[in-house]
Amino acid sequence: MKHIRYAAILGALGIAACAGDRAPAHHVVEIRDLSFAPDTIRAAAGDTITWANLDIVPHTVAAAGAWDSGAIAAGAEYRLVVSGTGGMEYTCAYHPMMKGWIVPR
Amino acid sequence: MRLKCSIALLAAPLALSLTTPTARAQADLNDLEMAHVAVTASNIDIAYAHLALALSENAAVRSFAETMIRDHTAVNGKVADLAKKLNVQAQDNALSRKLLGDAARIKDELSRLRGAAFDRRYAENELAYHRTVNGVVADAFVPNVENAEVKSAFQQALTIFRGHERHAQDLVTKLSMDVP
Repeated sequence: MKHIRYAAILGALGIAACAGDRAPAHHVVEIRDLSFAPDTIRAAAGDTITWANLDIVPHTVAAAGAWDSGAIAAGAEYRLVVSGTGGMEYTCAYHPMMKGWIVPR
Repeated sequence: MRLKCSIALLAAPLALSLTTPTARAQADLNDLEMAHVAVTASNIDIAYAHLALALSENAAVRSFAETMIRDHTAVNGKVADLAKKLNVQAQDNALSRKLLGDAARIKDELSRLRGAAFDRRYAENELAYHRTVNGVVADAFVPNVENAEVKSAFQQALTIFRGHERHAQDLVTKLSMDVP
């Protein structure tokens, strides 16, 4: 069974905003072969991003000063609801060469 | 059917764990022996990492060491799961024993170092060790493994270990820039 955890992007992304007249989107990022695929997500406030760890080792997704998933075990997922506007880079704390980006939609 | 492969391990300049005085070691290994070598190599790197956690106060070195323990433990767990599924057991062999013997000498060398000298030597060894083991896995093991599931496991592990090699290179570079 996959383990799913939830969190919201707070603070660093600024004032919370609603999705406006569009339905919130769900984005999926696969973590495989020590990379994020896709490495860039275009997201708006209210959208959900799920990172699915398909590697055989644990990973994290973390944006400095904003949010940190903690360990995402192999086969597990981490889900985050975008609650602000703005963009940011995130990394895996365990494998710092892994980088991804969330950019405003 | 017993799969044979000939492995030539070239000596590297940093007294690595795969060197020999003659710059060459050969082994004829079946799938289960290659799996044993892979698990042994992971256990050696875990031991290096525990030494680093005991001796280093450098945050980047400690973080790298923690990742080595976490990832190599996970890879070994996958190998154990696969062996259980296939109802087989990894087989000890001369190459695994040679790895362990060489690693004992490296650990002895590392344990005599402190501070920045330890950090640099640990990082350099990690880079060279991963580079050498990755070469063996890519060039000798993956092409010759007979069982498809074992081959897939080796390919997955190789992807992780190549990431470790890049991480180690970044660590070596960072530590070289920290030198006053």
